[in-house]
Amino acid sequence: MSKAISLHQISMVFQGRGEPVIALEKVDLDLPAGRFGAIIGPSGCGKSTLLRLVADVMQPFAGSISIGGAPPRDARLEHSIGFVFQAPTLLPWRTVRKNIELPLNIVGASGARRVKRSAAELIELVGLQGFENALPSELSGGMQQRVAIARAILLEPQVLLLDEPFGALDEITRQKMNLELLRIWAESRTTALLVTHSIAEAVFMSDFVYVMSPRPGRIVSTLEVPLPRPRTFAMMRSREFVDCVNRVRDGLFGHEVAPEPESPALLEVY
Amino acid sequence: MTTAPAVQRQVLAIVLPVVVVTAALLLMECLRRTGALPVFIPAPSDIWAEVQRNPGLLIGNLGPTLSKALTGYAIAAAVALAAAGIASLISALYAPIYNLGVGIQSVPLIATAPLLATALGTGAETQVIIAALSSQFPMLVGAMQGFRAAEDRHRELLHVLSASPRQTFRYLILPAALPHLFAGFKIAAPSSVLGAITAEWAGADRGIGAMMLYALFSYDISKVWLSVLAVAALAGGGYALGALAERIVVFWDKASELER
Repeated sequence: MSKAISLHQISMVFQGRGEPVIALEKVDLDLPAGRFGAIIGPSGCGKSTLLRLVADVMQPFAGSISIGGAPPRDARLEHSIGFVFQAPTLLPWRTVRKNIELPLNIVGASGARRVKRSAAELIELVGLQGFENALPSELSGGMQQRVAIARAILLEPQVLLLDEPFGALDEITRQKMNLELLRIWAESRTTALLVTHSIAEAVFMSDFVYVMSPRPGRIVSTLEVPLPRPRTFAMMRSREFVDCVNRVRDGLFGHEVAPEPESPALLEVY
Repeated sequence: MTTAPAVQRQVLAIVLPVVVVTAALLLMECLRRTGALPVFIPAPSDIWAEVQRNPGLLIGNLGPTLSKALTGYAIAAAVALAAAGIASLISALYAPIYNLGVGIQSVPLIATAPLLATALGTGAETQVIIAALSSQFPMLVGAMQGFRAAEDRHRELLHVLSASPRQTFRYLILPAALPHLFAGFKIAAPSSVLGAITAEWAGADRGIGAMMLYALFSYDISKVWLSVLAVAALAGGGYALGALAERIVVFWDKASELER
C-alpha cells in the first residue's frame, strides 16, 4: 500500500543569528502514490529540510503537507514513514539484525502483525547474509546503509523518504546501490521521495524530478522521466535519458546553459 | 577471533606485572635486611607476619570500611543519577546542579570531616555521608554528560519511528549514556573508599582508617603499611570491578579498549 505526497505552498523560515533566513519559499510538489520522485538541487537549497517537513520532524512556517490526504503527523504516528538518513544512522550497540528490528520494539506486538517480511528475509533482500550478528562498526559504509534501508522498509511504509542515502559512498558502489534500491522499491511499491545532488542519479531513479534553486529554496521545474521500468544502466545511453539530464541541467543553471546541444560530448553525462 | 600474537599479549599482560611486583618485593626485602632502607619502610615479610599474627584485626576493620564506602557510593550514585535526570529534563537547572557538584568537590574533606564528626557524632552515618560526598562528582559528571550523549540524528530516527519518551530513553538515551556512566562510576569507586578512610580518621571505633590512625600513633610501622595496602587494595579493587563491568556492558565502545 502506498500514499500520495502533496506539498502546497510550503514556506520555511529559520531564525539564525541576526536576520531570519528563508529556507523554502512557496514550494508545491505532488508525487502520486506508488511513484518514485527525486528532489535535486545544490547544497543549501533546503531539500533536506523539505524531506524533514514531510517526515514530520519539523513543522512548516506556512503551507500544508499531506500524505494520502492526512497530515504527516498521522502517517508518522501510524509508523507509515520510512526514512533513510544521509549518514547510516544505526545504533552502535545493536547488531545488524537488532538494528533492523528496532521498529518492532517501537510498535510492539500489535504493530508487528503487519510485518510481512521478517528481518531475516530483509537481510537477504539487501544482501547481508552472514552479517546478522555483526555490529555496525564492523561494516563498511555501504553495508551500513543497506541495514538502514532494510530497517526503513521493515514496517512496509506507505512513503519512503531518502535523504542522499548514498552521498558518502564512492561512485561505483553508489551506482550498484542505486540499482539495488530500485529493485527493493519495485518489490515494496511504496511511494519514494529521494533527495540528491546528482543529476544522473535523479533521472535514473525516478518518475518525476523536482528541480530546486537555492536561497530561497524553490522548485523551478518539474519533469517526468519517460524511461520504462525496470531501469538498467544501458538506458543511461539512450536519447530520452540524455534529454532528461539536459532539461534538469537547464533547470538548475537556467540561462547559463546553451539552448541547443551541438556537440556529442554532451552525451557524456557522468 | 583470537590469534596467536593476541594470546601472547594477554599472557604477557598477566605475567609482566606479576614479575615486576615480585622483583620489587624481593628487592625491598634484601635492602631492608642489609639495612639500606630507612626505618619507616618495613620488609615485606614483616607486613606478612603482621597479617598472620592477627588476621582478625584486618578482616574486622576491612568489613566496616567496605560497607561504609559501598553505602556512601550507592547513595551518591542514586543522587547523581536523579540530579542528572532532572538536569536533562529541565535545562535551566543544568548549570546550577553542575556547579553544586563542583562546589562539593572543591571542599577539602580532610578539614571538614572533623567538623561533621563534631556535629553528627562519630557513628557510621558520618562516614557514609563523607564517602558519598567524596565520590559524587565523577558520577554526577558522567551521568550529566551521558544523558546528553545521544546524537541528534539518532533522536530524529526515534522521532520518525514515533517512539514514546519512555521508548526513546530505553532504546537510545540509556545505552548512549552507558560509556559515560561507567567512566564516572568506576573513577568514583576509589574516591568513596578514600572518603570513608578520611572520615574514619576524624573519629571512628572501627575501620581501616581507625586502624591506620592507631598504628600511626603507636608507631607500629608494619601495621601502618598493612592498613595502607588494604586501603589501596579496596580502592583499586573497586575500580577494577567497575572496569570489568564496563568491558562486559559497553562492549561496542572502542575507546575503552585502550585502558585495558
